[in-house]
Amino acid sequence: MRILLADQPPVTHPTVSLGCGNWCTFNYDSLISSGLAIVVTVIAAILIARSMNSERPNRVQALAEWAFSYVRSTSRENAPDASSFVVPLAATIGFYILVANYLDFLPITLIPNVHPANTDVNQTAAMAIVVFVLLHWYNIRLRGFRGYLLYYTRPHELPVWARALFVPLNIIEEVVKPVTLALRLFGNLLAGLLMIFVIGLLLPGPVASVALAVWKLFDVLFIGLIQAFIFMLLTLVYFGLAREGFEQEHSH
Amino acid sequence: MIAFGLALGGGAIGAAIGDGLAGNATINGVARQPEARGQLQGIMFIIIGLVEGMYFINLAFGALFVFSLGAK
Repeated sequence: MRILLADQPPVTHPTVSLGCGNWCTFNYDSLISSGLAIVVTVIAAILIARSMNSERPNRVQALAEWAFSYVRSTSRENAPDASSFVVPLAATIGFYILVANYLDFLPITLIPNVHPANTDVNQTAAMAIVVFVLLHWYNIRLRGFRGYLLYYTRPHELPVWARALFVPLNIIEEVVKPVTLALRLFGNLLAGLLMIFVIGLLLPGPVASVALAVWKLFDVLFIGLIQAFIFMLLTLVYFGLAREGFEQEHSH
Repeated sequence: MIAFGLALGGGAIGAAIGDGLAGNATINGVARQPEARGQLQGIMFIIIGLVEGMYFINLAFGALFVFSLGAK
């Protein structure tokens, strides 16, 4: 309880500033937490890769192979020519978000002010911006610049005056994709953090410990896993959507 | 504070109805074709994740308004 009440309320973060205003101000608690998640991800990946054996696969290897083959088959089904960079991107994002969420099982809040990494919207927005930039770069590479501008006048079956009405709708759809990606992950994890905060605040001592244990078990295991999976799946699906209509356009 | 409670309540109604519809479709599908159970369960979890995503976006904005904008 003391540790919880000594922190700042969950949405604000302690910052350190390098002096050039808003763009150089870092939330150092998220930097610590995400740095820890990065180190654990890299070490886990290296250990899994080292222990792989073609003759006698162990269970961790079977799980890793199943997950990777799922990512690869979904990517080949959606956007086969982008698979060379989409599969590593989606697999890394999925694994990193999973590790960053599951680190909440350990008592990392004993380090003052540190919370699970994705509870900072800057963290999830960074990943969403990377996916957004890659999506549009892939779209331009696929269709050329003129085809990319025509992409905003989908659907192509309608007459020209009707397609002009679809342009703002398509622009809104393209803008909303990274926003919902970032906010969905952030909101899910912030909800977990707020519940921990509220349970610690409202319930008396031992009851709060039991309730916290139950809530954390459900939250970290279930919601952390599902949100990591959904971020990865939506990344793959958006690349498939960026290819939409390409075969029909170029066949006539 | 009251607005936060209202936003949370409205969001919970929407999320619950959405999850219920997804579960309904899954149960119907499994009833028609019991061997498709694994795939339908996977799709159900994906849909639940997306629906709950909307709810949690709602909650995150509400928490933002209460904790940082309200305390100023």
